[in-house]
Amino acid sequence: MTAVGLLERQWTERPGLLGWLTTTDHKRIGLLYFWTTLVLFGAGGTEALLMRTQLAQPNSHVVGPEAYDQLFSLHGITMIFFFIIPMTTGAFGNYLIPLMIGARDMAFPRMNALSFWIFLGSGIFLYASLALGSAPDAGWFDYVPLASRQFSPGRNIDFYCLALIFNGVSSTLAASNFIVTILKLRAPGMSLNRTPLFCFAFLAASFGLLFALPALTADAVFLYLDRRVGTHFFDVAHGGSALLWQHLFWIFGHPEVYILIVPAFGIATSIIPAFTQHRVVAFPLVAIAELLVVFIGFGVWAHHMFATGLPTVTLIFFAAASALVVIPSTIQVFAWCLTILSGTARFRTPLLFIVGFILFFVVGGLTGIMFVAIPFDQQMTDTYFVIAHFHYIIFGAAVFPIFGGMYYWFPKLTGRMYFELPGQISFWIIFAGTNLLFFPMHVVGLDGMPRRVYTYPGGLGWGTYNLIETVGGYITLAGILLLFGNLVVSYVRGERVGRDPWHGPTLEWTIPSPPPEYNFAVIPHVTSAYPNWEPLAGDLVLDEGHQQPITTAADGELAEIAQMPHESPWPVLLGLGLALVFALLVVEKFLVAGIALGLCALVLAAWHR
Amino acid sequence: MSAKPVAWWGMMMLVAAEATLFGTLIGTYFYLRFSTPHWPPGGIAKPGAVVPIVLALVLVASVFPLRLGTRAGIALALLMQAGYFAYAVHDFADRLHSFTPQTNAYGSIYYVLLGADHAHVAVGLLFDVWLLANWRTIGLRVITVYWIAVAVLTLAVTGTILSARA
Repeated sequence: MTAVGLLERQWTERPGLLGWLTTTDHKRIGLLYFWTTLVLFGAGGTEALLMRTQLAQPNSHVVGPEAYDQLFSLHGITMIFFFIIPMTTGAFGNYLIPLMIGARDMAFPRMNALSFWIFLGSGIFLYASLALGSAPDAGWFDYVPLASRQFSPGRNIDFYCLALIFNGVSSTLAASNFIVTILKLRAPGMSLNRTPLFCFAFLAASFGLLFALPALTADAVFLYLDRRVGTHFFDVAHGGSALLWQHLFWIFGHPEVYILIVPAFGIATSIIPAFTQHRVVAFPLVAIAELLVVFIGFGVWAHHMFATGLPTVTLIFFAAASALVVIPSTIQVFAWCLTILSGTARFRTPLLFIVGFILFFVVGGLTGIMFVAIPFDQQMTDTYFVIAHFHYIIFGAAVFPIFGGMYYWFPKLTGRMYFELPGQISFWIIFAGTNLLFFPMHVVGLDGMPRRVYTYPGGLGWGTYNLIETVGGYITLAGILLLFGNLVVSYVRGERVGRDPWHGPTLEWTIPSPPPEYNFAVIPHVTSAYPNWEPLAGDLVLDEGHQQPITTAADGELAEIAQMPHESPWPVLLGLGLALVFALLVVEKFLVAGIALGLCALVLAAWHR
Repeated sequence: MSAKPVAWWGMMMLVAAEATLFGTLIGTYFYLRFSTPHWPPGGIAKPGAVVPIVLALVLVASVFPLRLGTRAGIALALLMQAGYFAYAVHDFADRLHSFTPQTNAYGSIYYVLLGADHAHVAVGLLFDVWLLANWRTIGLRVITVYWIAVAVLTLAVTGTILSARA
């Protein structure tokens, strides 16, 4: 039997539904993440459009205030925790990182499956709250005392706390997996200075998640205990502190903002060299900048709290620290622009989305800098100006590269090409729609229109702007529908293309499209950061079982050949068990929840028998 | 440079996340302390010093038999750690007679901080039992890393709790 035949036999998984339930293949797990997050993106988008419909005119009654509260809370929670993070790390990262570093799977394939099943469970858990009519309704940052039991006696906030703790487990597992995969599973010869910038970005996001999530977890545990066990962490009357919630939330929450955006940087640094056929300018500086953005992100949290009465010295420190973020951000903007200018740019759809991303990032960055001015921040807090700022960043800058990446890697995933003209049209529609949707928010924000309020009176001059925003929202929707329509039709009727339609720089373009189960028939030997632009090298076939080379973290020298695990039913069972635990916690059956947790430990033991 | 196995890296990720969690809890402890005039508040007695220090030292000492790398070493470590755990839980339950998590914010953070620490010890005990049933060199190596981390975290937690005496 040939080596490829052997590899196929060893790596092909069970067919059918059971195969998907027990899979440990990073590509299938990536696809599971993709479809799940897409559904949740639909939910978050529907919530946004309902809000925009409500706000299109003054004194409107499409939804009432209680429903509106749940809409904006769910919208924020969904888009951040259940769309952007799982779409970038879960879907893009899972599918692409092993391919880019020349690996056959993630470092912990079963834990990878477990992250997905926990993520799916937490998503269903969150949306079960909506079905039960008690979705979270105190905003995605859920400030106490509004979120305390006294003012929110229902289950709404319990769902919030438990869903975020549950989801955090998944993200922590995924982040650990990415860090170890990127550091240890790179193909021989891929020293850190030859590692794709995409991987540096995901490394930065993963470190961010690993060190930021514990603060959110602790915060959510405190709040749940305050609400259901009667502790006093946030209860001022008994020695607690309401501001403690905000501190812990933003110690997590600001790094989180960069965790959302950094994978977008990674996608940009993949697409730009492919469509300019030019190496990224200042490669090491860009790599360091990607890491530095997240690092600085841990020291700026209090700039979300300028209006809470913190001491002036504290405010000045955090304003100065926040201004520092400009440096690594600007390094990257210049590097992207110079790379586009230095090469011969082909403005195909993916690159258009990246150019759009750069524009949005610069505009959102400029309004971001304005918040460093403490009095301006205090004036603008809780107005639509803030909404405009962070949607330019989180939708314009974080989601545009996701769209661009969908077009860019579509031929890799399917072996077919998307249709270019509808692709470019979809870009222009989404670009125009996004600007119509979010730009007028700057104006009404400066005019003092408050956020998180379900309606507004007529006669304040806000009506026209809000109507334009709503129209922009529906235009954006039309563009997104065109985008997905294009991809669906292309999947069936697109022109068949070979392994490398773009002459892309990185290793995923050296293998067939769609990639085989084992990814690489021959483990590549890497001699530059753009291995697909060099003659192919490598002689390790490794066809005895699930073999995977392990290399040293910095130099990428071959250290050992490891045997990777095969498919397993345990991750999905453990995910199910944990879902049971959280469901029991919502209804305060603590003893039964404890027993369920014991069952999870047994599942874990059986898994590692 | 000798390359560490992937499992070792995985355990380091867990340790990093858990250490950050304890950092958050300890940070919360001092945040609450420095926004309260009297600590412990509400007439709660200051924590005793001898028992927690002895207990923490037992846990630190249990790392040494683990490092022997033999089944007997694991069994001895398990014995010390289980002894630690039994006494710590007894002490924890005993304290509940004088003040509870519902008494005030001090009670809340006191029990949550100690409870988190004890939970980590309990998980470690399960690791030991698993290791004795499924002997693997790599398992021994990462479980030793786990216990070193738990011992250091326990020292930090003990120091935090005892800081109320100052």
